[in-house]
Amino acid sequence: MFKYLATASAIAMATTAFAQEHDHDHDHHDEDVTLYRVFVGDHAGGSVTALDLADPDHRWQFDTTGQVKLFGVAGGATVAAVQSDDNAVHFFSSGISFEDHGDHADIAVSDPAAIDTVLTGPRPFHVVDHGGSVIINYDQGGYAELIDAHHLSHGEVELTTFTQSQAHHGFVALLGGNLLSTVASDVVDAPRLGLQAFNADGTPAGELATCTAIHGEAFSGAYLAAGCREGVLTATASADGVTYNMLPYEADLPAGNTTGTLLGSTGIQVFLGNYGANGLVVVDPVDAPHFRYIELPFRRVDFALDPVHPANGYVLTEDGTLHQVNLLEAALTGSVKVTEPYSMDGHWNDARPRLAMAGDEVIITDPNAGLLRRIDTDTLRETGTIAVEGAPYNIAVVGGSGIDH
Amino acid sequence: MTSTQAAPLQVVATFSIIGDMAGEVGGDLVDLKTLVAPDADAHVYEPRPADAMAIARADVVLTNGLEFEGFLSRLIAASGTDASIIALTDGLPTMEEPGGGHYHYVNGEAIFHAGAHDPHVWQSVENAKGYVANISAAFCAADADNCTQYQANAADYSARLDTLDAQIRASIDALPADRRTVVVAHNAFRYFEAAYGVTFLSPQGVSTEGEAAAADVAGLIREIRAANAGAIFGENISDTRLLERIGEETGLTLSGTLYSDALSGADGPAPTYIAMMRHNTSAITAALTAE
Ligand SMILES: [Zn+2]
Ligand SMILES: [Zn+2]
Repeated sequence: MFKYLATASAIAMATTAFAQEHDHDHDHHDEDVTLYRVFVGDHAGGSVTALDLADPDHRWQFDTTGQVKLFGVAGGATVAAVQSDDNAVHFFSSGISFEDHGDHADIAVSDPAAIDTVLTGPRPFHVVDHGGSVIINYDQGGYAELIDAHHLSHGEVELTTFTQSQAHHGFVALLGGNLLSTVASDVVDAPRLGLQAFNADGTPAGELATCTAIHGEAFSGAYLAAGCREGVLTATASADGVTYNMLPYEADLPAGNTTGTLLGSTGIQVFLGNYGANGLVVVDPVDAPHFRYIELPFRRVDFALDPVHPANGYVLTEDGTLHQVNLLEAALTGSVKVTEPYSMDGHWNDARPRLAMAGDEVIITDPNAGLLRRIDTDTLRETGTIAVEGAPYNIAVVGGSGIDH
Repeated sequence: MTSTQAAPLQVVATFSIIGDMAGEVGGDLVDLKTLVAPDADAHVYEPRPADAMAIARADVVLTNGLEFEGFLSRLIAASGTDASIIALTDGLPTMEEPGGGHYHYVNGEAIFHAGAHDPHVWQSVENAKGYVANISAAFCAADADNCTQYQANAADYSARLDTLDAQIRASIDALPADRRTVVVAHNAFRYFEAAYGVTFLSPQGVSTEGEAAAADVAGLIREIRAANAGAIFGENISDTRLLERIGEETGLTLSGTLYSDALSGADGPAPTYIAMMRHNTSAITAALTAE
């Protein structure tokens, strides 16, 4: 089988055949087009609003079974709406697709649309989009569903199922030729054991790599990283399968904390993770020090990485301040008050802001104000707000720039 | 102010071959960091935070260009650098890449390296002299005070490259005309082929696995037999599984290792560009004159 996933998958995922429905210049000049489309889920549940960032009144409304967590997948051609409490996953064609030509990408734009196939299963949660597969873990089902990303970008949901030995809150990811799955204990309420490589039929393809209470996965460069009690476990594809490396939390980190959510940079090989309620940690999988801690003035509400300026990330704290994080300096390099305070006391799923990046903007949902807030990453100023009915909560942004021939 | 009191010019070279050339031209006047280490494949290199910090500090960043360093634009964006980014192939004669790219073999998989032009321009010593001239010009532009010294270093190094070029020509010219074809892991020697008259055959996008690959390998094997290839070489930056298989089917055993896109470590046979070209030439001529 041909396998050159590293380069080919990104191109394949972005290649779609949507008709170009927008108006062409009559001269047929090539036009540089930048379009970001924002998908927002309501906190109360059951509805998703899509809108064009450049023309926020240009919007569409979709029904879902319940409250969603939204993920741009398949190169942004598709948005997955995972409804953990309602045992369903809906998909939307984003209406924005790219065809890569090396030195430029062609952009094709159409209306977003709901994809007919709706997945149902017990408590879908983590979604991993890597290596040509979009993989959804069903936490109470003991299995994951693998969806071919290229077909999904065309609106087709082509499924294969991977069965785990125990149902658990975990993830499955494709790495090289293997499926990596979290592994749970068969002892009730025992912490998850770690990560293991499997063949597609569920038979082990390697030893269990211990990573107690493993949670949260991200890819950056050649690495997958996941947080656990001992430290951050990294995995890379190698000639003989998978190579693991445990990066133990170092003594200069505040004691008693762990990483459970990681974001991977697409620009440089580095991760940003949570570390305690009011800390972040920059994780370098290769060079020491592997961990650099960033203390936040208040508890963290949400954080995101900036794909346009890969050294930067953004974190919102419960006092309503957005901070710019520089990953190279492992420091906060700017702060701006953006919302009223949102306390982290209470339920984890209470209505609180979420962040998403759109080119040179951070888009922040402000559920209590019924708004999206647009913050310019160069000036850290609010450049505008967009009213969204109900309580705008989870958010995904797809799109970018390309040439319209 | 003398040059010893001034801060040295901060130079980043993207990979080991141009790092070596930059060291020859810059000497003690530059503080040099090379990103992709010896024996490592720049094509699959993933830039690290330390690399972005080095680029952020740099005065001059020396790159090959021609899309050789796929990581470069991401790294420059991450660093936010104001450094001058120099493509050392600028102004040099380049060949188009047939099929829009070439394949690398990593962990048993074929990975396509897209690009309109063949980036392995350094594989002809005449071209390497062009790199040296570009490095010298870049250093002079960034550090005019020491320009004379950079130019003197470049002239000295270029003279040694002339000697190297003559040695390669003499070695290859001594080969029988029907013993001039070898098989290599990846299509990185087209400039060497054009300059010195050795033909290189390489697998074009065949993977080591599966049935589809069998037909592709068969095509290469037919080519190898038709050209009566005399030797097959592994490569320091890729695994040898595919070549071993091709060797088995053609009755050729691996004749050693060629250094295409990266130098060896200090203890290896190709720790400098000149040593690398000498090593490759003697490995090829030894294999082709055997029996
Ligand atoms: Zn085009
Ligand atoms: Zn190459």
